[in-house]
Amino acid sequence: MTIQRRLDYLCYAIFIVAILLVPLLLGDFWINRMSKFLVYGMLGVAVSLCWGYAGILNLGQGLFFGAGAYMLAMSLKLLSNTSMQQGSDTPVPDFMLWNAQPGAPTELCCINHGSWLWLPFQSQWFGILMGILLPVTLALILGLIVFRKRIAGVFVSIITLALVLLVRLVLIDAQPLTNGFNGLTDLGTLTILGYQFDAYGLGTYYLIAVSLALVLIGARMLVETRAGLILQAIRDDQNRVRYLGFDVPVYQLFFFTVSAGIAGYAGMLYVVAAEFASPTFMDLAYSITMVVWAAVGGRASLLGACIGAILINIVAATVSETQSFMEAWKAVIGLVFVLVVLYLPRGLAGLASDIGERIEARAAARAATGSQAAAMVAASRRAP
Amino acid sequence: MLEIIFIGLSVGSILLLVALGLAITYGAMGVINMAHGEMVMLGAYTTVMAGIWLHLGFLASIPLAFVVTALVGLAIERVVVRRLYGRLLDTLLATWGIAILLQQAVRLEFGLSFFGKHIRGLGPGLQNVTVPPALTGAIMVGGEDVNVYRLFIIGVTAALTALTWFIMYRTDIGIQVRAIMRNPRMAAACGVNVQRINALTFAYGSGLAGIAGVMMSGFKTVFPDMGTSMVVDGFLVVVVGGVGSLLGAVFSAGLLGQVDGSVASLTNDVLARAVVFGLVILIIVIRPTGLFSFKGR
Repeated sequence: MTIQRRLDYLCYAIFIVAILLVPLLLGDFWINRMSKFLVYGMLGVAVSLCWGYAGILNLGQGLFFGAGAYMLAMSLKLLSNTSMQQGSDTPVPDFMLWNAQPGAPTELCCINHGSWLWLPFQSQWFGILMGILLPVTLALILGLIVFRKRIAGVFVSIITLALVLLVRLVLIDAQPLTNGFNGLTDLGTLTILGYQFDAYGLGTYYLIAVSLALVLIGARMLVETRAGLILQAIRDDQNRVRYLGFDVPVYQLFFFTVSAGIAGYAGMLYVVAAEFASPTFMDLAYSITMVVWAAVGGRASLLGACIGAILINIVAATVSETQSFMEAWKAVIGLVFVLVVLYLPRGLAGLASDIGERIEARAAARAATGSQAAAMVAASRRAP
Repeated sequence: MLEIIFIGLSVGSILLLVALGLAITYGAMGVINMAHGEMVMLGAYTTVMAGIWLHLGFLASIPLAFVVTALVGLAIERVVVRRLYGRLLDTLLATWGIAILLQQAVRLEFGLSFFGKHIRGLGPGLQNVTVPPALTGAIMVGGEDVNVYRLFIIGVTAALTALTWFIMYRTDIGIQVRAIMRNPRMAAACGVNVQRINALTFAYGSGLAGIAGVMMSGFKTVFPDMGTSMVVDGFLVVVVGGVGSLLGAVFSAGLLGQVDGSVASLTNDVLARAVVFGLVILIIVIRPTGLFSFKGR
C-alpha cells in the first residue's frame, strides 16, 4: 500500500468519525440542517461516481433524486394526519379532496382519474422499495438505450438534461395526482420498527450519517474492484477498451445505475429530513448545482465531492443568515465555480492530493539524503 | 390551420434567433456557452435601460444591444473561454458560473445596491418595454388575423439568418470560421489566426443573442432569470439540427417550433414543451450527430 492510498483511507476514516461526532456540538436546528447537507454529500458521491469515474456528465441527476423523493413522500403523505380522518376508510391526500369534482367518491381508488396509482403506497414499505427501484429502473432503461447506441460525452448530458425537464413538466401538469408546483407537503413521519424518525431528531441524523458512511465505503470499494478499474479505463479511452474486448456498455450501465440508485436513496433521506418533495428537485439549476458541488470538491474523488457538497452548503447557510449577503452569495458561488474550473480542475481533493504528494516527495528526498549521508559515512569509515 | 402554422412559425423563429448564436459558437469553437441565455437577458435590459436613460426607442436599441452584448461576449471569451478550448464539458460548467454571475450582477445592480445606490431599470423586479405603435395590433393575411409583432420577429430572424449565412459562406472571415470548424489546428497551420477569429465569432454570437433579447423584451417581461430556459431551448435546437450546420439549425428550429405550436393549441403549453423535449431525446438517440451534419475529418 502506498503512502498516498494510506492517507486516502485515513481521510475517509476521519470524515466518517467526524460526521458521527458532529451532533455533540450542535443544537436541534443545526442537526436538521446538517442532516440535509449530508444528503447533499451523498449526491456528491453519486455525481462523482458517474462523472469522475465513468466520465458521464449527467445533467439530470435530479431526476433520480426527485424520483426517490416522490416515491417515499407519497407513502408518507398517506400517513399524515391531513390524509386521514377525511370521512373515508382509506387515507386520501388533502389536495385531492380540494380539487375533487363535486360528487366524486372520497376514496383513494377513484377520487380522480389515476388516483388508484396511489393505492399501493398505503404501505410505507412499498414507497421505500419504489424509492430505489424507480430510479434504478429509469437509469437502466435510459442507459440501455444511450450506451448501446454508443452515445457519449455532451450528447448524454443533453439527453439527461432534456429528460429531467420533461419529467418535471409532466409532474407539474399531472396536478390532480402530484399537487403540481406545490409538491407534496405536510407529510407523516417515517416509522421503522416502532421508531419514529423526527426530522429534527438525532435518529434521523444518524440514519443519514450511517447511510452516507456506508455509501461512501461501498462506492470506494466498488471503484477499486476490477470492474471499477475497467470503468476508469473506459473514461480515459473508450475505443481502446472496446478493442481489448471488454463490453463497454455493460460497465457504463452498471455504474450509471448504481449512481442513480444512490441519488434515489438520497432523495428518500432528504424527504425524511426536509419533510417535503417538490418539482424544484427536477429544476435544471438543481441538477447543475449538484455538479458544481462535485466539481468544487473534486470530481474524481468520491470523498472530495462529498465534502465539497457539504462544505458549500454549510458556508451558504452561514453566510445567508445576513440578509444583505444572501443574494451576493450566489454571485460568489458563480465566481468560485469559474475559478475552480479554470485553476483547480481537480477541485479541493486535487489540491489536497497535490499537497500530500509534495509532502511525500519531500519526506522521500529527506530519507534519500539521509541514507546518502549514512552511506558516505560508512564509506569513509571503510577507507583506511 | 393557417393560424396554427403561423404560431409555430413565430415560436420557431424565436427559437432560431436564440439558437443562431449558439450554432456558430458551439459549431465553430466547441464551446457550450451556458451564458448565452444571459446575453439574451442583457440585450433585453439594454433595451430597458436605453429607454430610461437615453430615451432611445425600441428600434434604435437593436444596434445598441448588439454592440453591448458583443462586447460582453468578447470579454468572456478573452478572460475565461479562451483557456478552455478542447475541454467541452468544462466550458459548459465555467459558462454556467458566468451565467449565475451575470444574473446576480443585474439583480444586485452591479453590487451598487449594497452601498444604497439604485440604478433605475435594474434590480430584481420585472421590467416592461413599450413597442412602437406601428408594430402592435394585427393585420389580415389570407383571411386570418396575424399579429404584427410576431410578423416583425419572423422578419428580423430571417434577415439575421441571411446575414449570418452571408458572413459564413461569402466572406473571408466566414471561410476562416468554417476552416476552424473542420479542423482548428490545420486552419492555424494554413495561417488562420484562430484566436482572433474565435474571439470575433464569440462576440458575433453573443451580439445575435443580444438582438434576440431586444425582440424578447417586446412581448415578455424582462427579469434577471429570463435567460435560463432559453439557453436550454437553444441547445436543443442546435443539437437536433446538427452541430455546425446553419441549415440544420433553421430546419430544427422550424420543426420544434411547429411541434410546440400545434401541440400547445391542442392541449396546453406545459405538455407542448414536454412533447418537444421527448422529440428531442428521440432524435438524439436515433441520430446523435443531428439531422444535418457534415462528415468530420
